[in-house]
Amino acid sequence: MNRASENREGTPMSDPITAEAIEPPAEPSAGQAEPGETARQAASIEMKGLHKRFGRDTVALDGVDLTIEAGEFFTLLGPSGCGKTTLLRILAGLEEADDGRLAIGGKDITEVPPHRRSVNTVFQSYALFPHLSVRENLAFGLKMRGMLPGERDARVAKIAEFIKLGDLVDRPVDQLSGGQRQRIALARALVNEPDVLLLDEPLSALDAGLRSQLQVELLRVQKRLGMTFVFVTHDQQEAMVMSDRIAVLNGGVIQQVGPPREVYEHPVNAFVARFMGHDNLYPVTARQGARLTTPLGELTTEDAGEGSLLLIRPETLDLLPGEVAGDNHLPATVSERLYRGSHAEYRLEIGSSTLQATLNNRGRHLPEVGDRVTVSVAPEDLVTLSE
Amino acid sequence: MAYTGVTPSARSRGMVREARHLLLTVAPGATWIVIFLVLPSAYLMGVAFMTNGPYGLPEMPLSLESFRRLAGFGFLGWSPGNLYTLLRSLWQTLVSTGLVVIVAYPIAYYISTCRARWRPIMLLLVVVPSWTNQVIRTFGWMNLLAPGTPLSNLAEGLGFIAPNMGLYPSNFAVTLGLVYNFLPFMVLPLYAAFEKLDTAQVEAAQDLFASPVRAFWHAVFPQTLPGLLAGIVLVAIPAFGMYVIPELLGGGKGMMLGNLVANQFAGGANWPLGAAGAILMLIATFIGLFAMRRIGKRLGGGEEVVI
Amino acid sequence: MRKRTFKRCLTGFWWFTLVFLYLPLAVVVLFSFNASNSAATFTGISLRWYGRLMGNEEILSAFANSMILAITSSVIALGIGCRIGYGMYRHRHRKLGWLIVLIYLPIVLPDIVFGISEMAFFVQIHRLTGLLQPGLGTMIIAHVTFQIPFVALIVYSRFVGLDPTLFEAAKDLYATPIKRVVHFMLPTIKPALISAFFLSFTLSVDDFVISFFTAGPESATLPIYIWGAIKKGVSPEINAIATLMIGAVAIAAVISLVFSRRRQA
Repeated sequence: MNRASENREGTPMSDPITAEAIEPPAEPSAGQAEPGETARQAASIEMKGLHKRFGRDTVALDGVDLTIEAGEFFTLLGPSGCGKTTLLRILAGLEEADDGRLAIGGKDITEVPPHRRSVNTVFQSYALFPHLSVRENLAFGLKMRGMLPGERDARVAKIAEFIKLGDLVDRPVDQLSGGQRQRIALARALVNEPDVLLLDEPLSALDAGLRSQLQVELLRVQKRLGMTFVFVTHDQQEAMVMSDRIAVLNGGVIQQVGPPREVYEHPVNAFVARFMGHDNLYPVTARQGARLTTPLGELTTEDAGEGSLLLIRPETLDLLPGEVAGDNHLPATVSERLYRGSHAEYRLEIGSSTLQATLNNRGRHLPEVGDRVTVSVAPEDLVTLSE
Repeated sequence: MAYTGVTPSARSRGMVREARHLLLTVAPGATWIVIFLVLPSAYLMGVAFMTNGPYGLPEMPLSLESFRRLAGFGFLGWSPGNLYTLLRSLWQTLVSTGLVVIVAYPIAYYISTCRARWRPIMLLLVVVPSWTNQVIRTFGWMNLLAPGTPLSNLAEGLGFIAPNMGLYPSNFAVTLGLVYNFLPFMVLPLYAAFEKLDTAQVEAAQDLFASPVRAFWHAVFPQTLPGLLAGIVLVAIPAFGMYVIPELLGGGKGMMLGNLVANQFAGGANWPLGAAGAILMLIATFIGLFAMRRIGKRLGGGEEVVI
Repeated sequence: MRKRTFKRCLTGFWWFTLVFLYLPLAVVVLFSFNASNSAATFTGISLRWYGRLMGNEEILSAFANSMILAITSSVIALGIGCRIGYGMYRHRHRKLGWLIVLIYLPIVLPDIVFGISEMAFFVQIHRLTGLLQPGLGTMIIAHVTFQIPFVALIVYSRFVGLDPTLFEAAKDLYATPIKRVVHFMLPTIKPALISAFFLSFTLSVDDFVISFFTAGPESATLPIYIWGAIKKGVSPEINAIATLMIGAVAIAAVISLVFSRRRQA
């Protein structure tokens, strides 16, 4: 990795608006064309009623309607086999939908073969051509489109500067590390200045440290180019860090589309909630206006929905020592505590139910295992959702 | 709610395209092999059931005459000549395959125990002679075994052969030639088996059985069995149909099935008889391949022995 | 102690086997330099047999035939075989049992059955239509038939060793079907194509039985010429021509060794 990217290692990652927090890099050198001008090409994507089956019984996509805005960092999130990769491959043209239409930038491209689509992909395995040098790999798309060698070299040099590839350009492909391959695969796609860039779990083969570093780099690139990115991942943390909007898929059906906060804080159903990492889900056995009856006890919510499940996010809970009477107060026993430095994770027993809670470590008292505590939660933090 | 809408067009279009692609890539080669090998072989099988005409060419009507001839029934009554040839082919195949195993097994083991950097060179040394033309290699043995050569003189001195006879032509020379010819075919698969050998098993066996012979029999031998069987098929099938070696080293009394078949065509003597012999060879080939597949599957736990 | 004796026995057996393997070839080489006509006694060094080769029209034309046959058949087999190799790879998820049988048929068929069935077939076709007169043409056809499977299998295994997404990357990067072949597939499998060509060439030069049965009166190759000379009675000239062929193989062996070394380094 070069110096510029090392400097970014310390950038805080937890906040989904990190993207805006990243400052644009130092002045581009004089005379160099601004790669950001590709932003003009950013295109929207429209999918209508996409269906795809493999063999006789495997349904990969079961009627997908989705619009992705121009210049958006959009993530397709879901477990393996949910159809997210199939959807991406249909966007790339590598797979043909059985039914439905697909338009990019307002033009219907449902039947356009991949080599005539202004769409490029960063593959999970990177798929760098082993018989070509890095430079030839970068120039491959331009060459196939018939660009003259002089112009090609200029474009390759420009992208190498932009992605900060440095001397990687002159190395043989088989002597590159995983992170280096990833960045060259990214540059090889970007150099074509496509309308849309597709990324198929591009970071999944990397170790955790390199991964978060490249997440930041990828975001920076997308914001500077203003290009439409469609990103596929099964990692909800990664999805939340990177995305403007997320679509959660399961069984070939889109479950929910929205900005990360909305999907995390207001999941529409149990699947989305569980996939976003929530464990505190309780059936609502009876409901009277804002009063909910749950296995934990009676709770008041501001949620107006008619959902049959109650979601309690661990970080919205407060633990008061001893027994304190009050509305939305539940008596509990601490059965497990995982001290993590910045915060502590609790497992609490309420009757026969368990409840997870996370307390920030702000120098206050952290209850111990076996302590009797009172769980307190604000009505506006309680969300109901459907099964 | 599974998707049941009916728009088979895109799917079937894709399937048609794939099928056409398969046809375009595979068809030229497949057609070539069908026209220039499958059809000729089928024709040859047909010839075996036809009657021998003038100049040895096949004629109608269909008959089993050639198989009767192959079993020794000629117009002069029964003679054992052809049957001897058949039995000799079987015998030579068995003996030479057995000898090849006896020589190749320790050689393959030895190579696998040598230092890793030497192994490719040692394998190459074993294989290189088989790169030279079979006729030339056999010619080399003719030179070595001719009357008056040191080897022949030695055999004569020990009383194995009559004076001034030489070691060739003889059945012994044919066996020697076959062993020489097929040794690399056995060493290579056996070496592959030894290289994969699980040494932990051998050590455990040495622990449990104590005696090296029993350790070998229980731990080493079963692991090399797939390689051994592959080698046996690689040696026995072509040995059974061998033509060049018995023709040059065997003389009239060393003839094998391959020579019997070839003579019916080369001399234009009797195509149907030759074709009947060829069918025997084909049967032997397919029995060998089938047996290897079966045994290979049982031994390798589904892992097929690659030919 | 016993172990060391065992190992020593094995080493001895190894050297004995090497002598066994190289003795016949060594004898041929040695007697090619023999000054006398004798095949049994060595009387002195001379190059006269080599001199005779140069003036022998028959040998020169056999050599030319061998080369024409090997090069032509290898080129044709390469063209046909690499298509099959690719087809087998692309459709490897289908059931291709019939194709596998076809591909392996030329490999498993005994040489003699291969040779006589082609000969019988060619003769009959010639009788009926006047086509396929036995000669270099029929030999090329026969050789291509046994070379195709080797080319196909080498190319297939090269493709199998590739990352399958490379094919998609080429499509994604604007390569049309033809450009994919020219700029991606052929360059990527180039090593396989080269080794398939050399293997085909070697198989062709090495073959005797199939050539023998499909040859015409004018199309004798070197092995067929040598065969005929041996049948007529051993002549020291054969030692000379055989030595040249052994020399060619030895050079090929050294080259292959150097290449395998370099690949390891």
